[in-house]
Amino acid sequence: MTAQLVAAGTDYEVSDARGRSRAWDVLRRNPSFWAGSAMVVAVIVLAVAAPVIAPHDPDQQYRREGLNAHGDPIGPSAAFPLGTDLLGRDELSRLLFGARTSLTVGIVANAIATLVGVAVGSIAAFAGNVTVGLGLPGGRRLAVTVPLETILMRLTDAILSFPVLLLAIALVAVIGASLVLVVAVIAGVLWTGIARIVYSRMVVLRDAEFVLAARALGVPAPRILVRHVLPHLTSIIAVYATLGIASTILFEATLSFLGVGVPLPTATWGQMISQHLGYYDTDPRLVVLPGLAIMITILAFNLLGDALADAFDPHRWR
Amino acid sequence: MARHATARRWMAALLAVGLLGGACTSAATNQPSTGPASSPGASTATSVPSAAVATGGTLSIAWNSDIQYFDPAKGYDVVSWPAEKLIYEQLLQYDSGTKLLPLLADGMPTVSNGGKTYTFKLHSGVKFVNPDGSVLREMNADDVVASINRVLDPNLKPSASPVAGGFFGNIVGAADVIAGKAKAASGLKKIDDLTVEFDLNQADATFLNILATPFASVLPKEAPHDAAQVATKPIGTGPYVLKAYTKGSQATFAANKSYWQAGQPFLDEIDFKVGVDDNAAIQQIQAGQLDLMGDPLPAGSFTQITTDPQYADRLVTHTLVDTDYLFFDTQQPNNGPLSKLAVRQALEYAIDKDNILKLVHGAGVKADCIFPPDLPGYDPTCHPYTFDQAKAKQMLADAGYPNGFSSTLYTDTTDPDPQIVQALQQDLAAVGVKVNIVTEEFATFLDRIETPHKAPMGWVGWFQDYPDPSDFIDPLLSCATAVQGGANAPLYCNKQVDQMAAQARGETDPAKRLQAYQDIQKAIMADAPWVPVRHQKWFTLVSTRVNNFQLHPVWNYDLRSVSLKPGS
Repeated sequence: MTAQLVAAGTDYEVSDARGRSRAWDVLRRNPSFWAGSAMVVAVIVLAVAAPVIAPHDPDQQYRREGLNAHGDPIGPSAAFPLGTDLLGRDELSRLLFGARTSLTVGIVANAIATLVGVAVGSIAAFAGNVTVGLGLPGGRRLAVTVPLETILMRLTDAILSFPVLLLAIALVAVIGASLVLVVAVIAGVLWTGIARIVYSRMVVLRDAEFVLAARALGVPAPRILVRHVLPHLTSIIAVYATLGIASTILFEATLSFLGVGVPLPTATWGQMISQHLGYYDTDPRLVVLPGLAIMITILAFNLLGDALADAFDPHRWR
Repeated sequence: MARHATARRWMAALLAVGLLGGACTSAATNQPSTGPASSPGASTATSVPSAAVATGGTLSIAWNSDIQYFDPAKGYDVVSWPAEKLIYEQLLQYDSGTKLLPLLADGMPTVSNGGKTYTFKLHSGVKFVNPDGSVLREMNADDVVASINRVLDPNLKPSASPVAGGFFGNIVGAADVIAGKAKAASGLKKIDDLTVEFDLNQADATFLNILATPFASVLPKEAPHDAAQVATKPIGTGPYVLKAYTKGSQATFAANKSYWQAGQPFLDEIDFKVGVDDNAAIQQIQAGQLDLMGDPLPAGSFTQITTDPQYADRLVTHTLVDTDYLFFDTQQPNNGPLSKLAVRQALEYAIDKDNILKLVHGAGVKADCIFPPDLPGYDPTCHPYTFDQAKAKQMLADAGYPNGFSSTLYTDTTDPDPQIVQALQQDLAAVGVKVNIVTEEFATFLDRIETPHKAPMGWVGWFQDYPDPSDFIDPLLSCATAVQGGANAPLYCNKQVDQMAAQARGETDPAKRLQAYQDIQKAIMADAPWVPVRHQKWFTLVSTRVNNFQLHPVWNYDLRSVSLKPGS
């Protein structure tokens, strides 16, 4: 009750029960939300069920029945509902397994990025300048002020200004392509956006009256951060995490397209496009299908993310 | 020494790619040019081997990669060589096949001293021409001697020529120049203004072929020993001059109006458009905006173009003197499975080569041994292993690997290599050998396979530098190159084979020599360092304006002989 009293009169009503139900009111009346969630659920179900519903092993090359006499891929047939790719593999099975790669990368990389981003953003805002006592020879102590806030946020800016693709290509050349590396590269870059957003909100919150009150009551800083401040950010984190999945999937597709993504022969949508670019004229199916898969998935996460952003916007509750 | 991505698109890189060959003519009609020509050639230089006539006009050709070097001591890739062939000339050249003819030499050389001394008369009246078209001066024997010494110079910038020792090390005194102990090789002699003599340490049947490579181009003796400076002002005796060059975009070659051979060059200008994607090049040729493409047909439009009757007379094809192969680290550390002969022999049976030929739309001939068709020494009866996965499995079990083993297979990222290794992966998996695929950018991959034990398995190809079987044995499968920086990726070293190769090299009877190389080939295949898979077949499309374009068995793109149809 104390916290709520203190919060009264400020804008930070998001975390109260009324706010949540209002958000839901907006959400359930938003068709984007229903369309987005339906598509997200569909993609996830297809990805999870891929081993069950895929008609073939996605990596199996059907050299006799999957390629025509000229050695070109064949179009849709009973055995291969969406035809085959340039190695005679089943296109539908590769699309389904490609969803697994995309979602794995999208969700794992994005979860890591969100955790790191929230941690860096809130520590920077809350820790500010940290004074560290250093023991000197002779028993004297020296107080050194570490501008943690500046260091963390300038680091974020520095990473934001990295040429990400070049970095990824260089890392692949040195370390070698792998799924882990793709996730690491994406997460290693993506957290910066969330960190900046969280930081900007935190800077406002750290001086809010309810925080001052908590401090005055002697609540330790980590507890204030976790119990009193972070709940205000759940909405914004949810929105950016959802939108982040979309950009992560796209980034993975870009890396795979450039040949520095997940190693062969693992099916990924980006690689499916790049391997068949030369066929855009003679067999556009091979480029269009994985392109559509990427588009639909990203659209789904974007619709969902936008709907969440609208719902958590207090201006929409009137 | 011509390493290449086995690809339709050749990556011009470092030591990369080089020559190709293969012939429009059949193997039977090919003149092996291996024996030293012992009589002075009958006629003066017959120049470009073609029936083309001067028509003027501008020809344009598109390439994926840029010209790496305008310096013939350095250039070793499929774009630099055709460019160098326009600007520079050598003492010797090939006819439309693989027969050696004089070019800057006035007739074939006299051979003496048991095949160790070659004496060349030079053609008189050959002029060096500046890029602006003005004449510098006439060429003489000093320029020939200085040009070869230049290739040997260890201080050449940015780095020494990749073939200084390999190609020219047999010249007396060359080793001292390469080691930095002398400025000039004592075996390179000016006899008079128009006579030069080459003294060799050992008789070598391939030496005249080396004098026909662009590395043996004749530059003015004052040419700087710096590739960057040469690139700003390349001076040669060739039919074209470099009029303009914009890195990454275009090189313009203009006709040399002072060319020493009457009736040439045939065109006013040749434009190299570089950095052009294959699919874009095909469309531009179809639209008449481009005349030639320096890269073969891309996979996506391959069938469409090769089966459409309207392109039938504009499709140019030939089989390259090339072998693409899967190699194994024959000295795999820690007693690894690939170090065992029985394992490697088993894997020789595991690869479905016909399937790989199908994947590349039939752009190739199945390879069972090392030497390609059209290479002297090719043995059509050499089929030591056949496709039989059951047998491969049984042999692996007998060798102590009933459940197979795991390994890593490397290749480059250029199509169709990533596709081919995926097919190889499935073949190997079928006999129980599980491989992970790693694809790397070509230069990185090349560095890897030239570093011992960094690639247990790899997929790569080799084009000839000159039409002689020694070019497939000495650089690729000898103990001397099974070292850091050597092209012997499987680290294959069999002392007995080395001895056979040394004997074959010195053999002067051409028939005995080729027989010796066939024996070497059999001995190596018995040791199974490679699974040869295909000899590439080249398909390309030309515009309706192009007259008399043929792929040359050694040069592939020899643009000196191309002209345009009258009125186009």
